[in-house]
Amino acid sequence: MTENIRNFCIIAHVDHGKSTLADRLLQVTGTLSDREMTEQVLDSMDLEREKGVTIKASAVRMNYAAPGGQAYELNLIDTPGHVDFGYEVSRALNACEGALLVVDATQGIEAQTLANLYSALEADLEIIPVINKIDLPSARPDEVAEDIVSLLGGQPDKIIRISAKAGLNVEAVLQAIVQKVPPPKGVDDVPLRALVFDSHYDSYKGVIAYVRVVEGKINAGETLRMMATGFSIKPVEIGIFAPTMKPVKTLNAGEVGYVATGLKTVQECRVGDTLTQAAKAAPDPLPGYRQPKPMVFAGIYPVDADDYSDLRDALEKLQLNDASLVYQPETSQAIGFGFRAGFLGLFHMEIIQERIEREYDLDVLFTAPSVEYEVVLHDGTTVLIDSPAELPDEGLIAEIREPWMNIEIFTPTDYYGPIMDLTTKRRAEFKGQEYPAPHRVQLNYTIPLSELIVDFFDELKSRTKGYASLDYQFAEYRPDALVKLEILVNNEPVDALATIVHKKDAYHKGQSLITKLKGIIPRQLFDVAIQAYADGRVISRANVKALRKDVLAKCYGGDITRKKKLLEKQKRGKRRLKMVGNVEIPQEAFMAVLKLEEE
Amino acid sequence: MTNLQSPLSIYFHIPFCRHRCAYCDFNTYAGQEAAIPAYVDALIREIEFLGQTIRPSDHPTTRLPDHQTIRLSDHSTIKTIFFGGGTPSLLSPAQFERIFSALAAHFPLDDPETTIEANPGTVSLDYLREIRSLGVNRISFGVQSAHPDELRMLEREHDFFDVIEAVTWARRAGFENLSLDLIYGLPEQPLDRWQATVKRAVDLSPEHLSLYALTLEHGTPFGRWSARGLLPTPDPDLAAEMYEWADSFLGQNGFVQYEISNWARAKDESRKPVPSAVEGMKDENMKIETFHPSSFILHPSTACRHNLQYWRNLPYLGLGAGAHGYAGGTRYSNVLRIKTYIERLTNHQLPITSHQFPLTPATVNSHRNTPREDMQETMMTGLRLTREGVPDAGFRQRYGLSIAEAFPQEVDELLKLGLVEWVDLSPLRPPSLVGKGGWGDRLRLTPRARLVANQVFMRFV
Repeated sequence: MTENIRNFCIIAHVDHGKSTLADRLLQVTGTLSDREMTEQVLDSMDLEREKGVTIKASAVRMNYAAPGGQAYELNLIDTPGHVDFGYEVSRALNACEGALLVVDATQGIEAQTLANLYSALEADLEIIPVINKIDLPSARPDEVAEDIVSLLGGQPDKIIRISAKAGLNVEAVLQAIVQKVPPPKGVDDVPLRALVFDSHYDSYKGVIAYVRVVEGKINAGETLRMMATGFSIKPVEIGIFAPTMKPVKTLNAGEVGYVATGLKTVQECRVGDTLTQAAKAAPDPLPGYRQPKPMVFAGIYPVDADDYSDLRDALEKLQLNDASLVYQPETSQAIGFGFRAGFLGLFHMEIIQERIEREYDLDVLFTAPSVEYEVVLHDGTTVLIDSPAELPDEGLIAEIREPWMNIEIFTPTDYYGPIMDLTTKRRAEFKGQEYPAPHRVQLNYTIPLSELIVDFFDELKSRTKGYASLDYQFAEYRPDALVKLEILVNNEPVDALATIVHKKDAYHKGQSLITKLKGIIPRQLFDVAIQAYADGRVISRANVKALRKDVLAKCYGGDITRKKKLLEKQKRGKRRLKMVGNVEIPQEAFMAVLKLEEE
Repeated sequence: MTNLQSPLSIYFHIPFCRHRCAYCDFNTYAGQEAAIPAYVDALIREIEFLGQTIRPSDHPTTRLPDHQTIRLSDHSTIKTIFFGGGTPSLLSPAQFERIFSALAAHFPLDDPETTIEANPGTVSLDYLREIRSLGVNRISFGVQSAHPDELRMLEREHDFFDVIEAVTWARRAGFENLSLDLIYGLPEQPLDRWQATVKRAVDLSPEHLSLYALTLEHGTPFGRWSARGLLPTPDPDLAAEMYEWADSFLGQNGFVQYEISNWARAKDESRKPVPSAVEGMKDENMKIETFHPSSFILHPSTACRHNLQYWRNLPYLGLGAGAHGYAGGTRYSNVLRIKTYIERLTNHQLPITSHQFPLTPATVNSHRNTPREDMQETMMTGLRLTREGVPDAGFRQRYGLSIAEAFPQEVDELLKLGLVEWVDLSPLRPPSLVGKGGWGDRLRLTPRARLVANQVFMRFV
């Protein structure tokens, strides 16, 4: 039965052309007609298209008639392309038997190429390397082929070379999938085990679980159970993606499809969970499930306090589709009512911010991101805090521990120096280096996550002309000499501007933050004093002098309308400022701590 | 039927210049002087057009349906006429004469204050004598600076000798109401240079001075140079200092500030220190003008009455290319380009019934204000009048509610910030009653608010 099924995914570094290749495969197999073909079908959100990355995995079934006349069912499982979504990637890989490893002929192998390749090998997938973008003038396919061979073995001239964009040699990719990817192995006549590798919320059918039937089969109408969360499911329908949802009677072992669960939130149907039959449950779930753990935290506040309930609605709706977004109400003394939200990483946070602003049209203020600290008190208790404002009184603290990450930086050897310099500044510890390809080095470090989320990626890119790439995983919690750096505006501490920093950095970070804020806080009707305070003393202070001149000059020939428009514009600008006490502070001020590197 | 209950003003825009100054973003064009005769014809047609839709109340017949006719009340005579530009002094005396006779034929003129803007260096004694005899009684010279290098930077084509000459001739021609425009806050301009400009201007004994801070406008050469980093941005704090110095200097020299950028001199009292606001009531040089029984206005008699019309948010007709008008509750503006303006007025037959007062065939934008918008604009413009402010009684008469009722939070907040104050210019009122809804109450900027007045205006829009 499963002989003619091929389940595969595409793995690639961001921008190496994964989505374009997926489009092309859909087109060549006739899954979508040219007319139906919109660019990058699999990335359905605008934001993804703009950022050029895939956020949500998708699955699509293609029917392919191989040159011998044999018909195949190809299931393409799209994987998220960003480092924040490593766990989701690993689940999607587990739903496949093979992977296309797409490498940009101009860029070569990069950190995520490697990270994803290792994950794919770990999931025991058959790897089919593909060199893409060979039509570009700067393409160097031979060199890239050598690099791939040194990683995977094989012969350089056997590696498929394509241009997905130009539709060049795409047929060869399909043939390789059929020839090299093994058919799925599972058998139908055992208790059901189906891997949930993605989900999304549909307002009519509830949560749609994307599943790969590993063994057994799913029959329409059968009651199912989520093995990790324990929820019972009476599916509304089951089906396949062809490429839109199409109901079927049965999903057999080896097949990829969906289960419309009727569940209300994606939290009840988590990625990595195992579906089984309620009546005849499998004894053990599939291995590898874990609950995604938020790593980065930030306050989200409405700029206009009246928008609070709209912001809550927006977060609720976003969470319907995003099990890794967590939030709870938070109150800032300085900026009022809002939420504390947890994200998988900084990139995940950026996406949420943009979606709130764009899809829900809300002006929101994100405070500088923080990590979760373990604070050990003198009385022996440990508290977890994810916001600097929550840090207990200094006198009570025995020790502060912070999360450290393992990072792998993959770079041309030329940039060794600048990277060493950056990592030293960021308290990273060097672990070792590897040379997985000629002229390329992989540098391994451990680094505090708090240093990683503060502009590290942008810095890395700018120091290496964009060549270096990065992958990271959680390592451990470690104690260090950490202090709270507070900002006082007109002698009042502004909780939302507080950060936790290493003691040795407090002085220069305090100074550069004050310099930064002095430039950001607009002049007001009175002098505004700003001070940085840490470790029991004022580190730095500055004065934003009172506004002296802000008046429209002459009114040209009685053109009141134009003056009024200018005033209205000025008023709108003022509304975007956040009142902290009687001082108006722009949103950028709350992110200023992220940009201290430039000083 | 709409009744206008206040005097009406008329603005003429003359969009011609010999040379475009580098900082100017007004609607004006260099090198099109050949179109002036046709432009004057078009202005006259626009006057005639408005004449068809506006009739004195005692006029027995109207040729238009009643709803399109504006009946002027007794107060609705034309009290000010202003020729702005551009360079109005590029029009010949004969051209002015034609405009004035058309005006007299169509509008009830009541000894109007008639101003022209002029560039020193473009006028002669004969020219000034001729236009004075035609009824122009106020002249405003764009002096800008007393320093040749600053004038060169601004791309003005005159020097200060031209200014002295122009002022002398204007006096000899019989102009008793003379105004000079000065610009401060130029890139890299030090305080003492500005002080020298103000002193030299005051030495010419004008009746009126307008001091404008340079603004780098988008779309001007200055704006572009500044964006490219070729022109240093003027320091706003220094500009504030210049303003404050000028304010105090002018005060010592007999000038009264009546608007954020405008100062007027009490007549024949040029060197006498100015009395305080309340004492001013007793000063015979100060004029009390009543335009409505419930309100009164206090200002030096040399204040520009045309500008007062704008700031009091009272009606004015705007004629010419790019002119703006406000009448019958409608704000409108004319087409910008000279050629189009001329075409629109030439190709069209009088009378046209599809246009409703105050709109003409040249109108391209019009907006009928809601009462709320009108209130906002009354505050935004009226608060520019630093002595007069916005009279509460007049506001109530106009909108049926007091300022504090219309803008409770705004007024409250601004009082707390010390940016506005309630005053009563009547010496008879005990101070304890001021601001309690009395007859003479007016809301105005506090002295410190003059330089940050946008922070005040913004709250009313």
